[in-house]
Amino acid sequence: MPDDGNSKQGPPEKLPKPDPAGYFEGETMTRRGVFSAGAMALGGAAGAVVLLPTIGFALAPLFEEEGDTWQKVGPVENFSEDTYTAVVITAVPGIGEAGKTTAYVRRSRGDDQSEGEDGFVAISTRCAHLGCPVRYVQAAGNFICPCHGGVYDFDGKVIGGPPVRPLDRFQTRPSDDGQVEVGPRFSVTSQLDPVRTRDPGEFTGGVWDYVYPPRPSVPPAP
Amino acid sequence: MKQSDKEQYLIEYEVLKKKGKPFFPYAVAKDSAMALVVVLVIVVMSLVLGAEQGPKVDPTTTTYVPRPEWYFFFLFELLRVIKPPELVPLATIGIPTICMVLLLLLPFYDRNPERRPQRRPIATTAGILTIIAMAYLTFLGAAAGTPTEIDLEVAAEYEPGKQVAAQSGCLACHKIGENGNDGPGPELTEIGARLPREAIARSLRNPPQGMPNFSGLPAEKFDDLTLFLASLDGE
Amino acid sequence: MPNPLKRPSRPGERSANGAGANGSNGASRGAQGVEAAKEGGGGLVGWVDERSGATGFLTGMMFRKVPKGTNWFYTLGSATLFAFTAQAITGVFLAMYYTPSPTEAYESITHLTNDVWMGEFVRGMHKWGATVMICLIFLHMGRTFFFGAYKYPRELNWVIGVVLLILTLVMGLTGYLLPFDQRSYWATVVANNITATGPVVGPYLADFLRAGPEVGATTIQRFYAIHMLLVPGLIAALIGAHMYLVVKLGTTAPPWLKAERPKNARKKTEVG
Repeated sequence: MPDDGNSKQGPPEKLPKPDPAGYFEGETMTRRGVFSAGAMALGGAAGAVVLLPTIGFALAPLFEEEGDTWQKVGPVENFSEDTYTAVVITAVPGIGEAGKTTAYVRRSRGDDQSEGEDGFVAISTRCAHLGCPVRYVQAAGNFICPCHGGVYDFDGKVIGGPPVRPLDRFQTRPSDDGQVEVGPRFSVTSQLDPVRTRDPGEFTGGVWDYVYPPRPSVPPAP
Repeated sequence: MKQSDKEQYLIEYEVLKKKGKPFFPYAVAKDSAMALVVVLVIVVMSLVLGAEQGPKVDPTTTTYVPRPEWYFFFLFELLRVIKPPELVPLATIGIPTICMVLLLLLPFYDRNPERRPQRRPIATTAGILTIIAMAYLTFLGAAAGTPTEIDLEVAAEYEPGKQVAAQSGCLACHKIGENGNDGPGPELTEIGARLPREAIARSLRNPPQGMPNFSGLPAEKFDDLTLFLASLDGE
Repeated sequence: MPNPLKRPSRPGERSANGAGANGSNGASRGAQGVEAAKEGGGGLVGWVDERSGATGFLTGMMFRKVPKGTNWFYTLGSATLFAFTAQAITGVFLAMYYTPSPTEAYESITHLTNDVWMGEFVRGMHKWGATVMICLIFLHMGRTFFFGAYKYPRELNWVIGVVLLILTLVMGLTGYLLPFDQRSYWATVVANNITATGPVVGPYLADFLRAGPEVGATTIQRFYAIHMLLVPGLIAALIGAHMYLVVKLGTTAPPWLKAERPKNARKKTEVG
């Protein structure tokens, strides 16, 4: 085999060849060109007819927006200002236990402007670093992530470790029958201003809005 | 690599090849023996270690401690040690991508025709250092405890306090021995040698900026905690 | 049927006949190999061979010379291939019992592990086979690196090998979700979010992998299809290319054997 190699990889002195391989008398380059282009165009078309619809089919979920789901999580009296109550809500309907998630809900403190008029704050348990399940530690009054060492304060702002933004929140509203309703998830900036929902690990605000562009699959900021 | 180096290699290779033996049965015999070893290792691992199922999926958990498969431990540890949030995209995407591109393009920037490892000091050293770094990160990743457990030998009287410290999330901000995060708070491994118990209790009740207030703990737990922390002298 | 085929002639074959078909030279030349095999070959082998020319290729491949000094380190590549084959076989049979659905996957694994005869053993083979394959692929890469075997003329084979390594890690990652226990779920969540941190395309890529903004109804089917069909197909094709290049370029000799330079070879290339 190496003698094969020698003849192929030898010095390129015999390069200029008068005719293309397989040249025959009377062949014009136009004819060959037409057939080469035709071969590629037809083959490409055949491939595209199979590939384009199937790729579109596989990409479809990128463009489907999840519907708003508002869920009742318990009577207003269940929640206090000083501590969080864990509630289980359904994030993805139709797949049972595997579609549920936990949110920490508390009554908002009157003096805090950023908490809105809804009267309730619902914090997501997905760490803003890479999505591990954070836990609210009552004694320390902060949220701790077990994976890579993220720590958040009582409002979900980062006080330690690698998380890139505060913990995500859920929209909340009181229902007619005196319960608290939890709605879609949204992300917040470091000043707790609501922005559109993002995946963990993505910064919010400034130039990052272009680095992590909006996805059609999630609703815009509330 | 120069043209003459290429030719030189091909000629030398041809000579070595002529002196060799046919692939079948000589090389195949070794390959088959190795295949048998591989399958036996797999079978023994399967029989001894089994394939137990873990607990069922529960996305609502707030107590589960996720850990990756062992061959991703080095990436996992990389994510743990790179603390500044600004560097997170570097740790998640940047470094792995750079490593893979460097690996992929290796033959294109290492154009030295020399093949003996001892005559390629830079390549060999870089290779060994990469292996050591990955092994070290894998080891650290495997040893990484959970932030709600303190792996430390203490006398029985300090055990309850250790539990309180673990459950209160101290490790989220402080390092105690080999446990916990190095920052934002100071390391507590030798806190007992630096501060008396009363001073520790004062800091817990009137914490410095950024640290939560622990005066809400039940008195008994608070006492256990200060007793445990005051006992930490780095030994 | 076989007898009339004893001495078929094909255009261009005559000229090759003279050289004699001894192992080292003749084997790599297709026509001679075919000829040598046909001398004694009758029956089914002869019939297939006349139509495929397979014997020539196979003798060329099997009896090609492997350089002097190749040692046990050179078995790591074939061992990786063997581990992949074992994974493919156990995987196909696991697929017969497995249900890729977020509500039934866990129960189907429980069933195949506990109720099916040898179920735990076969699942264990697949699970630990993955570990063994990853180890072997890294060892094989280490051997290639330290022996300088990625250098000319084998650069392309190194590139294919690195792509195979990446695809194997993708297999590890996608296969990890399928048992659908806590470990799998959270590992997948984290892996998807790591993908999502890629600039500009990251968020869309993560949506594609999850089939939506959350690990949801069809994520597991998606991973299953990638793990069962897409990536194994790519791996098999690339292994074919990898092995074609190994056979074509030959196995490297251990680098230290370079010290014994043949004298005539040196004269030929070095300018005096």
